[in-house]
Amino acid sequence: MGGLNTSLSIGMQALDAAQGALDVTSHNIANANTPGYSEEVVQLSANSMTMSRGQVSGGGVTLDGLQGTQNQLINLQIQQQTSLQSSTNTQSASLQQMQTFFTTTGTDVASALTALSSSLVALSASPGSSVTQQSVLASGQNLAQAFNTTANGLTSAQSTADGLVTESVAQINTLTQQIGALNGQVARLTASGQSGGAVEDQLNQSVQQLSQLTGISITQSSDGETITTGSGTPLVMGDQSFSLQTTTGSDGFQQVLDFNGKDITNSIQGGQLGGAIQVRDTTVPGLLSQLNTLASQFANSFNAVQAGGIDSNGNPGQNVFTIPINLADAASGISVAITNPALIAVSSVGSPNSNGNVASLSAVLTTALPSGQTAAMAYASLVFDVGSQAANASTQSTAIGENLLQLTNQLGATSGVNINDETANLIRFQTAYEAGARIVSTIQQLYADTMNMMT
Amino acid sequence: MMAAGVQDRNRLATEYLKLLRSLATELEMATHAISHNALAELEESLADQQVLSAKLSVLAGELSGPGEANPSTSPIRVDDRDLRKQILIATDVLQKLNRGYAALLQHSSRSAALMASLLGSFKGQFQEASGPRSKYQTWSCQM
Repeated sequence: MGGLNTSLSIGMQALDAAQGALDVTSHNIANANTPGYSEEVVQLSANSMTMSRGQVSGGGVTLDGLQGTQNQLINLQIQQQTSLQSSTNTQSASLQQMQTFFTTTGTDVASALTALSSSLVALSASPGSSVTQQSVLASGQNLAQAFNTTANGLTSAQSTADGLVTESVAQINTLTQQIGALNGQVARLTASGQSGGAVEDQLNQSVQQLSQLTGISITQSSDGETITTGSGTPLVMGDQSFSLQTTTGSDGFQQVLDFNGKDITNSIQGGQLGGAIQVRDTTVPGLLSQLNTLASQFANSFNAVQAGGIDSNGNPGQNVFTIPINLADAASGISVAITNPALIAVSSVGSPNSNGNVASLSAVLTTALPSGQTAAMAYASLVFDVGSQAANASTQSTAIGENLLQLTNQLGATSGVNINDETANLIRFQTAYEAGARIVSTIQQLYADTMNMMT
Repeated sequence: MMAAGVQDRNRLATEYLKLLRSLATELEMATHAISHNALAELEESLADQQVLSAKLSVLAGELSGPGEANPSTSPIRVDDRDLRKQILIATDVLQKLNRGYAALLQHSSRSAALMASLLGSFKGQFQEASGPRSKYQTWSCQM
């Protein structure tokens, strides 16, 4: 049994430790509903016991510090899923925007192809009529315009994505600076034996936000968190942050450079930035390529048939459509070259009211183009492609959202504050203290009895 | 040679001393358990304390009874001087420990009442965490 001083010292240490623990508990309860808050747990350590004359004496207890209960593995999964979802959401939003250019509005490519086909049928019936000739010319103009509108719509979505790249890089730089500063704070607090809990929660929130912007990889070191992009470009190392930069590339779009000026655009995946780059550099170019090929092949086929016929003036047919030399500009630059309806090569032999070439012009719409599909089918494939990608992105986003919900619940269960448990423990402690108080009274009485017995 | 009555009282006094020391050890253990938020250990220690203090009360009653050796002249019920000294020291230590323990319990009870009030004021405002609960506890002796 230890001496009086030892006993009092143990009691005082216990009181100090308990005061710290109460503060933590109050903090936990007060923050039970704070997003991102993780429960803090008091770390107490027992001082060594001493043995004196065969009696063991307790060494008391010391409050070592506080420890957050963040589950790092779940946090990592949440960051990965958040990054994936953000990328998918960005793509989904862009594809939904693009889908509007492919819906049947009467001025879309499919409607224009149908209208052109109808006007050619009418022209076949009245090949000498300037009205039917004008109708075919107008339909051709509408078709060219539909190609232009669709291409411009896709280009506009691409520009939006490009703007998002610049915006995301700026946001990433702001966050990496914050994370670096928070890393420094956590390191300083830890070194001085204080709780880094609140700062760590802030840090986790910032990292979570960063993962929404780009795919990241995190490793823990003695200096704090080291964060890199998925491909290893450093973003944060301890309290140091490394800013990304943007520069205009040869294609006119913003390229992402690391802190050394190396172009890392193609290696960025995940997050809003990864999604924007995916839309800008892959999704839109793929759709534009299909549209350009369709516009170019259709115009060339139509022009070729036109060239084989004779117009109302008895001359060989001129090109109806003008297509830019560069295939990449075909859909956006296609236009109708003629303004005089009499220049449509109606006849195949040059005799008045002959409609021999109209059937050939109509056949351009029903015959497979060099791509292997008719113009209508090629366009339908394009529409299906857009719709399918949009639907996939949406489905993927929903699935990731469900995963995230589960992970967040899981994190809440391991890191959050459970009031039921806290209440149950409170009642048990209260009961125990009451029992302890009764024993204290008994011991007081025993002291009196003993003194009485000994004197 | 000591009389049988004296031997009995010394045996009881030795037992009494042993129980006093055990109770003091239990108070230390309880203080330690409270400080570690070790609720189960605290409850176990409390049960032991109850048994020990009950036994001590019974023994104290027996030792306070009239001594057979010289009941009319000696108010001292324990005949062995050294044993008596040890009992007094052990009682003194127990008393001091008991004061510290009482202060700790009082302080903790106040904190518990405070927290009960805090919980009451927050009642109905919490979104309970779902899923399996972790083993972490935050209640302390202050609670």
